[in-house]
Amino acid sequence: MSSLTASPALSVRGLTKRYGDRVVLEGFDLDVHAGEVVSVLGANGSGKSTMLRCLSGLTKFDAGSVSVAGREVRSGERVPEFAMVFQKIHLVPQLSALENVCAGALGRLSFRQAWAPRAFPTDVREEAMGCLDRVGLAERAHDRAGRLSGGQQQRVAVARALCQRAGVLLADEPVSALDPAAAEQVMRLLRSLAGDGMAVAAVLHQPDLARRHSDRVVGLTGGRITLDIAPSALTDADVDALYAPDYAAEGGLA
Amino acid sequence: MSATLNTTPARRLPVPPRPRTVKSLVTTAVVLAVIVGLHVVAVRATQFSLPELVTGWHGIWAFLFGDQKTAGALPPDLSWKIVRPALGACVVTFSMGLLGTTLSIPFALFLALLGSRTTSKNVVVYQLARALMSFLRSVPSLVWGLIYVTAVGLGAFPGVLAIITHNTGVMGKLWSETMEETDKGPVEALHSAGASSAQTATHAVLPSVVPQFTSLFLYRIDVNVRDALTLGVVGAGGIGFYLTQAIQEFQFNVMMTYVLLVMVMVIGLDLLSAWLRGRIAR
Repeated sequence: MSSLTASPALSVRGLTKRYGDRVVLEGFDLDVHAGEVVSVLGANGSGKSTMLRCLSGLTKFDAGSVSVAGREVRSGERVPEFAMVFQKIHLVPQLSALENVCAGALGRLSFRQAWAPRAFPTDVREEAMGCLDRVGLAERAHDRAGRLSGGQQQRVAVARALCQRAGVLLADEPVSALDPAAAEQVMRLLRSLAGDGMAVAAVLHQPDLARRHSDRVVGLTGGRITLDIAPSALTDADVDALYAPDYAAEGGLA
Repeated sequence: MSATLNTTPARRLPVPPRPRTVKSLVTTAVVLAVIVGLHVVAVRATQFSLPELVTGWHGIWAFLFGDQKTAGALPPDLSWKIVRPALGACVVTFSMGLLGTTLSIPFALFLALLGSRTTSKNVVVYQLARALMSFLRSVPSLVWGLIYVTAVGLGAFPGVLAIITHNTGVMGKLWSETMEETDKGPVEALHSAGASSAQTATHAVLPSVVPQFTSLFLYRIDVNVRDALTLGVVGAGGIGFYLTQAIQEFQFNVMMTYVLLVMVMVIGLDLLSAWLRGRIAR
């Protein structure tokens, strides 16, 4: 697969987003290469989620440029190469794991080709089985998504992203709703998908997971990047500065 | 080592009086006056009078126990020659309610999808669908029944048409509101994966509301069977028609039999529908 020196899978330059007078993102730059996991840390309201939503086309941005594998993306354009994974997972609980994964392929299917969850073509269903197998849940294919544990549900959501054939995975707090063991498993999965050549950008609230599972840590404060370092270089003082700037002067949270 | 638990109650403090402003007292007085006033008007408008109920006791007596001219409601006439056709009429009434509800599914679903903000992006289409549902719903099925009886003649068929028409409006509204209350997360997830609005409707919205849709459908069968009963009064067949006839012919003992049968049917259906809905909710 491509090395870190190749042109980045995801390249963001000067991304700016305002809600009225409030500037949420200001001149945000980010490169994520294929095979790389980049963690984005930052307090609530620092603009992390908005950043991911701007990239995935769910929200329009006001200025800046986003490109995927060298191709420039318009504001609000939904890009098949970008797949989102959410904190609240967002599976359809009444449908089976397999049907949820198949839905990842909807962007390349016409309405007639897949008009209902039970009506996906065989090749899509088989590909979805492969995606479920990749996240270790092949034997749960026909279980209702709502019956699975939180960690399993998030892995199904990752499989849905795989079925989308996305090259860039944008994960918005993917493990914040999970217990530590499930969180660890999901982070390892993201790590291993990067090993397969995916580019992963994950917004996290867990500095410890960021240290152990990413290649680079980016810190956001007030819509700007204030940190961009190797995970091993992330200190407790950095974390305090990101999450509790008011406490940092008094010696941190601890 | 024996532990000592601290169970000392907290210090007592006087409770400060709840703040009461002149404005809140005036508001209370005005609201009370309006409510009482409305009821006074209502009593006059309906000529509601307890004394009349007392002075008319012999009429009630005659209705219940009969006099020289008529058979009283009690005891009901439970002879087979009365009960057998009445059972058949109950089946007709039930069928009207069932068919009316089932056959309104496609229309209700269509309007619900167009009239729900979750699935309908076009404001004009959305408002038109809502307006049509309001219209169908605001005209009672009894009125629809009168219209259809005039148009296609007496019988259960115009009754079914009346229920389809009214129920399309009611069930469409209930379903569209259910879709608006459903979790938008999966819709957003599929949208970000490149799915179209129609695809998010069939792959995210509809699958997640199937239990509520089924539950509301069962509830509507229940209501519509009762509607079918009143439709019989305006000539749309079934046990309602039998009831009217019995009253017009002063056969109160026969009427009472019909009322008992209706009670059994309605209560049985109510219990069955509640049981099924309970099972779906689990």
